[in-house]
Amino acid sequence: MPEQLLTVLKICLLALLYLFFLRVLRAVWAEVNPPKRSETAAKAAKPARRSRAKKVKGARRLTVTAPAALKGMAFAVTGEVTIGRANGCTVTVDDTYASQIHARVFQQDGQFFVEDLGSTNGTYLNRKKVTGRMVFRPGDKLQIGNTVMELR
Amino acid sequence: MPGRVRRNTELGLILLGAVITIGAYILASLGRSDVLPADVVPFLVAVLVLLLGAHIANRFLAPDADGLLLPLAALLNGIGYVFIARLDEDLAGLQAMWTAVGIGLYIATLLVVRRTRLLERYRFTVGLLAMLLLLLPLVPSVGQQIGGARIWVSLGPVNFQPGEFAKIAFAVFFAGYLVERRELLGMATFKLGPVHIPDPKHLAPVVIAWGVSLVVMMFERDLGSALLFFVLFLVMLWIATQRVWYVATGFVLFGLGAWFSWTRFSHVQVRVSAWLDPWADPDTAGQIIEGTYAMAWGGLAGTGLGLGFPWKIPVVETDFIFAAIGEELGLLGATAVIVAFLLMTGSGLRIAARASDPFDKLLATGLTTLLAVQAFIIIGGVVRLLPLTGVTLPFVSYGGSSLLANYVLLALLVRISDQSSRRPATRPERERAAA
Repeated sequence: MPEQLLTVLKICLLALLYLFFLRVLRAVWAEVNPPKRSETAAKAAKPARRSRAKKVKGARRLTVTAPAALKGMAFAVTGEVTIGRANGCTVTVDDTYASQIHARVFQQDGQFFVEDLGSTNGTYLNRKKVTGRMVFRPGDKLQIGNTVMELR
Repeated sequence: MPGRVRRNTELGLILLGAVITIGAYILASLGRSDVLPADVVPFLVAVLVLLLGAHIANRFLAPDADGLLLPLAALLNGIGYVFIARLDEDLAGLQAMWTAVGIGLYIATLLVVRRTRLLERYRFTVGLLAMLLLLLPLVPSVGQQIGGARIWVSLGPVNFQPGEFAKIAFAVFFAGYLVERRELLGMATFKLGPVHIPDPKHLAPVVIAWGVSLVVMMFERDLGSALLFFVLFLVMLWIATQRVWYVATGFVLFGLGAWFSWTRFSHVQVRVSAWLDPWADPDTAGQIIEGTYAMAWGGLAGTGLGLGFPWKIPVVETDFIFAAIGEELGLLGATAVIVAFLLMTGSGLRIAARASDPFDKLLATGLTTLLAVQAFIIIGGVVRLLPLTGVTLPFVSYGGSSLLANYVLLALLVRISDQSSRRPATRPERERAAA
């Protein structure tokens, strides 16, 4: 077998090796930067849904900070949000110390309020028990049972 | 569904890896004897059956897992096999068998460890097992001394290195123990003269485990593994407590330990002087000199597969396989091996970063550390960045124990990845807009 041919084949093999790595890197890149895909998915979705998604984007969110297993879950606050163990609530928390319909968060005149809906174990805003309607500002911590949520 | 994208990426990469392996196998035979290898068809079938077997196992047992680890490991294993086959046909037959058993063990590990919680629950049992495995080679009549290090065990017809499995068991034990005590270890409540240190009560089990392992490996003269365990211990302690001073203290201790063993043990002195100036005593440093010449001979793109003289290097199939790759595939080929390890390390750390469970996080970090540091120690030794200590190059070197243990390690990483991708909390954000 001529030497030149072997050299050419060897270079091809090395090129394939680096092609392999290139594809690995591309796969990593696609995972690390997923927004492109969700953007195209949003574009593909119906226009009506798109407009709602836009609204949600500007809204404040309730973000779970504890327990660790649920950390990072977020719920958009638009209009009224009910929190509780019942499936019908806007935010369903799987927490032994939460009541079925535990509390509600709502918006009025550009401000957020939180109100306890007669729960057994109470609702706490920044570690103070919620009585009546209380103003809920961004950064405040809302505790229901063992679940803590922050308004962001 | 991220899982399906990942599995398809994995399949594509695995097929490309198979093409590279088979191509390299054919090229090695062409270079050596100008003919196509006689067993090219069985080889092709075997490669595809093994790789696709592991891939299908992933589809069923770990559908959401990272899709890059298995192809990278398979590529390294394939390249390693081509070089072993090119160097020694008898060893190649054994390595092929070990690869098959290794992939079997990979699938078995995925089957048995459905949740990492299982490992966390049995952390002390696993820790005890690690100790026993480590001590086994010292037992008379069972332990064997081969090539200067007493790390082998013969049970009937089976010879193996229990240390390879002990390292994984230690990672599991450290992860389980440290998760439980990390808050206590992060606080310096105990006063020792002018300095505050964490309460020795909480630190004791890890320190004992680590101290014993180091002493044992000193007796077994297995310096590479001692270094590996030391780094594993430090990294896991650092990640668990997030206190950098553990690392700083560790480096000081390492310096003292290294100086102590250099002054006391002749086999350490030999290694260090062969590293600093191999030509001062070419008889004892022959391996390093041959390895260096081999890589220099290879140049940028190598002599070509089957066209070099890598068999001139002593124990080239295990410790010095990296030099053989450097000779026949050159700087580009050797760099490719390092890139593969870098990408595996990156995947491993990404798995650790994404895991939501602290035990998973710590175990993934530990396992990745084992893989990365072991590759670093042996490659560093071969290229004279570090004193040479004989450990295997994971997935590439010849060696049944090493290959099996590394496939188990890989399976655990894949399991952690699958588990944490499936948890709802780790998905970017779940939103429910109020109607």
